[in-house]
Amino acid sequence: MNDAELDKLLDTWHAPAPPRSLRNVLRERFPQADPHKLARPWRWALVILLGSVALAVALAQSSENRWDIPVVTFLNQLYENFLQGEDARRISSIVARIKRSDPRVYVDGRLAVPLEFGPAASMDVQIPGDGVYIISLYRYTQTRNAAGRPTGWVQAGHAHGNAIEFQAGSTPVRIECNEEIVDSDRPVFVRRQR
Amino acid sequence: MAKPPEQLIREAGRGQEKALLQLFDAHHAPLFRFAWRLTRSVADAEDIVQECFLALLKPDCGFDPARTAIRTYLFGAVRNQSLKRLRRRKQGAVPTPPDHDTPESEALRGEMTDAVAAAIAELPETQREILLLAHYEQMPLAEIAAITQLEITAVKSRLQRARATLRETLAAWAPRTERVL
Repeated sequence: MNDAELDKLLDTWHAPAPPRSLRNVLRERFPQADPHKLARPWRWALVILLGSVALAVALAQSSENRWDIPVVTFLNQLYENFLQGEDARRISSIVARIKRSDPRVYVDGRLAVPLEFGPAASMDVQIPGDGVYIISLYRYTQTRNAAGRPTGWVQAGHAHGNAIEFQAGSTPVRIECNEEIVDSDRPVFVRRQR
Repeated sequence: MAKPPEQLIREAGRGQEKALLQLFDAHHAPLFRFAWRLTRSVADAEDIVQECFLALLKPDCGFDPARTAIRTYLFGAVRNQSLKRLRRRKQGAVPTPPDHDTPESEALRGEMTDAVAAAIAELPETQREILLLAHYEQMPLAEIAAITQLEITAVKSRLQRARATLRETLAAWAPRTERVL
């Protein structure tokens, strides 16, 4: 059978046309934007409120700020919590990207056991002869608790582009992915599993 | 001038349904065909195509216009979704009944179609995808390489292998094509 004959034969297999309902179902599943629009006075009130909050946060963060106003401290705390929440959400998507991008673990330059993905966007890496280290890319990982004692987490390296590099104890570890996982440098924290 | 896909995705993400439908209208037909040929199920192909378009609205959507064209990205997404489904339901194909609207030659054509579909289904996974994209979607090798994440040379050799296998498997049908087509 020559190429032309094979092509003719293959062309006998027709795919059905997409059902017309496909477009309608997609429209039904399209996430609807909130139809409620604020009336103009409320919009202005919201703008003024947001401006005040931003100003209060800026004041609270300024080193020259001597106004120890409870509401400012509260707003500052709120802002910090927001930043931490945002970072936690971002970590979930970074870890999802790592999962999808075929990560390869190199321990001391040698290809090692693949990454294990744990709950809460954590990842474990096994270091032969040492143990298992949990990796966290969360910027706000606490290395000391409120009493000032070490939590076990140490900042051990950084993630950049398509790689994560850190020291697990004294062993250099590099995790390579086949696509970019972070858009800017990010600290890496590790903790040896007990 | 037509808006670039990244702008349409941004607009759709802000709640503009029209923007997503514009992308859908431009790309859904070949995506549906590809999904159907991989899964051999209209219901699965519908689900897959919908999921792929809705996934564009998610904040963790991996589409990067600097790295891939939207068509390539969507075909890659359809491929991944189809493979997931195929692996989940290992029992295999749900064939669409062939058209038997005329007498003998149509019946023969139906059998032939089934034989072609079955022969393609028997190909190894990657060879099958490459053949479908190259033959049925007329896609250039470079784009297939981007979708399947293979080198162009690997795509070329797998396509040749797939065609060689089909030539053998479908050899018995060759003389009949003249009668039927």
